[in-house]
Amino acid sequence: MSDALAILLTALFVNNFVLVQFLGLCPFMGATQKMEAAFGMAAATTFVLTLASAASYLIETYLLSPFDLEYLRIIVFIAVIAGLVQFSELVIRATQPVLHQVLGLFIPLITTNCAVLGVALLNIRQNQGFIDSVLFGLGAALGFSLVLIVFASLRERMSQTDIPLPFQGAAINMITAGILSLAFLGFTGMN
Amino acid sequence: MNDAWLNDLTALAGQMAPSVILLTLLGTIIAAALLFVAKRYPNEQDEVIKKINACLPQTQCAQCGHPGCRPYAMAIAAGEPINRCPPGGEATIKQLAQLLGQEIVALDSDFGEEQPLRIAKIREEECIGCTLCIQACPVDAIIGAPQLMHVVLEDVCTGCDLCLEPCPVDCIDMVDAPATQQERILPANKNYPQMVNPSPLTSSHQACIRCGFCEEKCPKNLAPQELFWQRNDSDALSLLNLNSCIECRICDRICPSDIPLTDYFINTKQRIDDEVSQRERAKIAEVRFEERTKRLEVHQTRVKTRPSRKDKSQLLATLKSKR
Repeated sequence: MSDALAILLTALFVNNFVLVQFLGLCPFMGATQKMEAAFGMAAATTFVLTLASAASYLIETYLLSPFDLEYLRIIVFIAVIAGLVQFSELVIRATQPVLHQVLGLFIPLITTNCAVLGVALLNIRQNQGFIDSVLFGLGAALGFSLVLIVFASLRERMSQTDIPLPFQGAAINMITAGILSLAFLGFTGMN
Repeated sequence: MNDAWLNDLTALAGQMAPSVILLTLLGTIIAAALLFVAKRYPNEQDEVIKKINACLPQTQCAQCGHPGCRPYAMAIAAGEPINRCPPGGEATIKQLAQLLGQEIVALDSDFGEEQPLRIAKIREEECIGCTLCIQACPVDAIIGAPQLMHVVLEDVCTGCDLCLEPCPVDCIDMVDAPATQQERILPANKNYPQMVNPSPLTSSHQACIRCGFCEEKCPKNLAPQELFWQRNDSDALSLLNLNSCIECRICDRICPSDIPLTDYFINTKQRIDDEVSQRERAKIAEVRFEERTKRLEVHQTRVKTRPSRKDKSQLLATLKSKR
């Protein structure tokens, strides 16, 4: 139990995907202008990352390793994750309209993000079991969501403030992201 | 020498085989799964809207209170009444009622009256070249430039009236469509001869008794009797190859009930042709409308992101004062 918690918290804070590993920066900058978009993106990412880590573990253990096909890992992961996500999106749309309204737009957007492939490849590198892999994916996704929501709320506040002209737009976002990243570096010692 | 080369090739193929097999299998499985789900759960809403949209005349006239035909189709799918399309008129209402399983209702006169197709014509000597009508046209059917005369492209004008209102000098008239455009009138609004199986009492000929004599004599091996019974069903007629009928009138002469079969066929062919060309026109209007909407969107985002002239001069002034 404490092991599981450690994996979850490590992925969430210490090895935060966005601010420490620098994965998934596109939605981090692109989908954080408004709080609702950030929430939708966060929910979709949580869904896709968890699914991807489970799928990639199963493929690696039962398809790639037994046949010595590890060199096909990247292309197979991409294809399977994209297919699986598309599949579940179609099913969700048909069976859970409310859920689809929340996630709908964001699921295809996040599928091809590097964070998704990243979680799959890191899982294999860390050589974990199935439960641990899924937990790692979930932790990474929660960390991503946390950062996305924190950053979105910061940006919403910033849009109300009087920012000096040269800093407006992308500049202040980069600076904020940098400071946020520094703050997350403080968790590094927690291992 | 030759053997070594062959051996290399075999070895290479052996190395490649597992990857090729795996990727092929994976691709097939994923494609099959996606296809299965897409078939199992079709995106019903989109399909319905597409079908409703196909019934609408694509004039993009906005008389229904929506900015175009597709938005009205979406509103119908969400439950709006189907009787708000004056250009489509009775025919459209009938089609929609059939599609949606609703009752046929009369056109809501609050939204306009059904009338024959008319197209816009600019009185060229009075046009001042203000471009206001160009901006109003939903299908980009008016061409012209500032300070220069404008002209309506008559084969893409849908007769929506939207250009009349913005014209500051009232130089646009709605005129009856020229003869070349007559086929654009909705088929159901043209007066085709009545196509019911006539009773012997009211017509010159008797009812069809399905004797089948006509089928033996048809030089094109068609089934005139079946064509006669299916004459209101366009799909069935195309299956029965109505278009191959050469109008030779042999079936008329052989028919014991004296039915003027060929006359019926000529009429029906005309009606189907009109329906087809109408549908093509609607498609063109729809495409033009969508292209225009897209163009306007791009234009608007460009205008939005560009700093206004006022801001620019202010910015320059502050920069100068600082220096």
